[in-house]
Amino acid sequence: MVDLARKNLLHDKLRFTITVLGVAFAVTLVLFQVGLFLGLLDNASVIIEHVQADLWITPRNTANVDFSKTFPETRVHRVRSVPGVERADNLIVAYVDVSLPSGSQEGALCYAVENFKTWGLPWDWQGSDPDDLRRGPYVMIDAHSEQRFGPFEVGEYREFLDRRMKIIGKTNGANTFTTMPVTFMDLRTIQELIPDRYEGQSTYILVKLAPGANLEAVRAEIQSRLPYNDVYTRREWADQSRAYWIKSTGLGFTMGLTVFLGCLVGIVIVAQTLYTSTMEHLREFGTLKAIGGSNGFIYRILTRQALISGVVGFVLGAVPVYLLRPLIAQGGMKLIIPNDFGLFVMLGTLLMCVAASMVSFRKVASIDPALVFRG
Amino acid sequence: MIIAETKGVTKSYREGRETFRVLDGIDFSLQRGEIVALEGPSGSGKTTLLSILGCILSPTDGEIRIEGRTIGPRADLNAVRKQSIGFVFQQYNLFPALSARENVEFALNVKGMTGGPARREAERAMDLVGLTDRKEFLPRDLSGGQKQRVAIARALAGSPPILLADEPTANLDTQNGAQILGLFRDLVRRENRALLVVTHDPQVRSFADRVVRIRDGRLLPELDPAIGQ
Repeated sequence: MVDLARKNLLHDKLRFTITVLGVAFAVTLVLFQVGLFLGLLDNASVIIEHVQADLWITPRNTANVDFSKTFPETRVHRVRSVPGVERADNLIVAYVDVSLPSGSQEGALCYAVENFKTWGLPWDWQGSDPDDLRRGPYVMIDAHSEQRFGPFEVGEYREFLDRRMKIIGKTNGANTFTTMPVTFMDLRTIQELIPDRYEGQSTYILVKLAPGANLEAVRAEIQSRLPYNDVYTRREWADQSRAYWIKSTGLGFTMGLTVFLGCLVGIVIVAQTLYTSTMEHLREFGTLKAIGGSNGFIYRILTRQALISGVVGFVLGAVPVYLLRPLIAQGGMKLIIPNDFGLFVMLGTLLMCVAASMVSFRKVASIDPALVFRG
Repeated sequence: MIIAETKGVTKSYREGRETFRVLDGIDFSLQRGEIVALEGPSGSGKTTLLSILGCILSPTDGEIRIEGRTIGPRADLNAVRKQSIGFVFQQYNLFPALSARENVEFALNVKGMTGGPARREAERAMDLVGLTDRKEFLPRDLSGGQKQRVAIARALAGSPPILLADEPTANLDTQNGAQILGLFRDLVRRENRALLVVTHDPQVRSFADRVVRIRDGRLLPELDPAIGQ
């Protein structure tokens, strides 16, 4: 069968280029925006996902893992005595000021526990064993922090709250939604660094269940013993930390708006170019109807035009995004595009193009085949 | 043998509160192997009659028979057009993105013929109109006469027994017009088809077997084409 749809599109190459660039723009915008947002959301919960705790005990109504309040560290004993709890330890998540060799200061988020390897923290590192952190004024710093700290090597020193500390390891993958530098040090070290706030205090309790223990029963028992704390599963706590950034900051709305505008631009461009093309070919479409072509037949041609524009536009829009991922990673950002989301965007693109072509359907339906007899 | 005919066909349009009768009791027939010229001033109803015979419009009243079948109000006009009627238009109406051969082949696709058979039939039609050597040219690379030949090939493809042509020579010079009319005559005779040509062009008369005149929606007495008066 003669492929009128494809030939019509390629006949006017400038218009076709404009159409697919419009689609590509929308695709790029959506993939970039959502990919970067998913990357940031992944940062928001990446540490929670890696800590090998079945339950997180938090101060009441804590919105996000980065924004913690304190409670007495002795509450951990009440947890350890709950049947079904194999292990429970305090975790302090604290902001610290770091003096840089340049003389400037940067903020950093510090994760502090007593037994790092028990909890799987950090999960990827070079340098000394994380359990060595307890042996002195030592710190491990995540590699992404070089964006703010500048280059650093294991064995160098940095001042944390005016105290000189040795970097004994460089970790990878530990990040925050705000891309603030992440560091790891021993629980007692952070309590000594900021005694006013953390001496005898903790911000979280990590809980590992004994084999066969009933998670809900243990959680209920902990909750009854610690009425001024909340108890979350790892999944719940990760979800809540991500949801905070989506809902409370307006970032989710902003991203949604950008995606909507991207789609709108794509739809308008595709609709406008297909409609103009249809208007220019009204007589030919009228001829098709005169020789027996139904509206459905012509709709299929227009739909095929839209789908071709959609596929070409998607490829043109998506390929650069995928190719730029390593470059973006070098800039300290993560671009996460899950396969199912990529597929969703592709289907959405095709749907958007077909929806845009429907503007032309009405025009085609209204074509009077007798039009062809009018000189 | 009559292949298309109308009996008492009337066509009225409403515009606001007024009703305009464009055709008024038309009795007309078209036979296999003949060429009929339909003449009349602008607004006389000749294009409306062409549209009704071509099953593009339905009459307000009266009867149409195509190949012996009565085309009632519930008839599938698309199917009748696909099967029985080929159109040639004043403006050619070729798809600019398709080559000459593809324009013909695509019309066959619309009629349900695809693949090799459609391609072969399109090439046969191109051969009939003498454009075999230009079949892969785009319309923009063809002259007006050549475009009209492609339009005729499109109308011929699929072998519909009835050809309806609307001012087919209006955009052509005298020499090209004569060539197109000669082509029509050869094809109608050779393939035993019927051709109705709506025209203002005096030279069409000499190619027609009959000249039918229409004025104010009514047919006038036929002219003798040889006399031309």
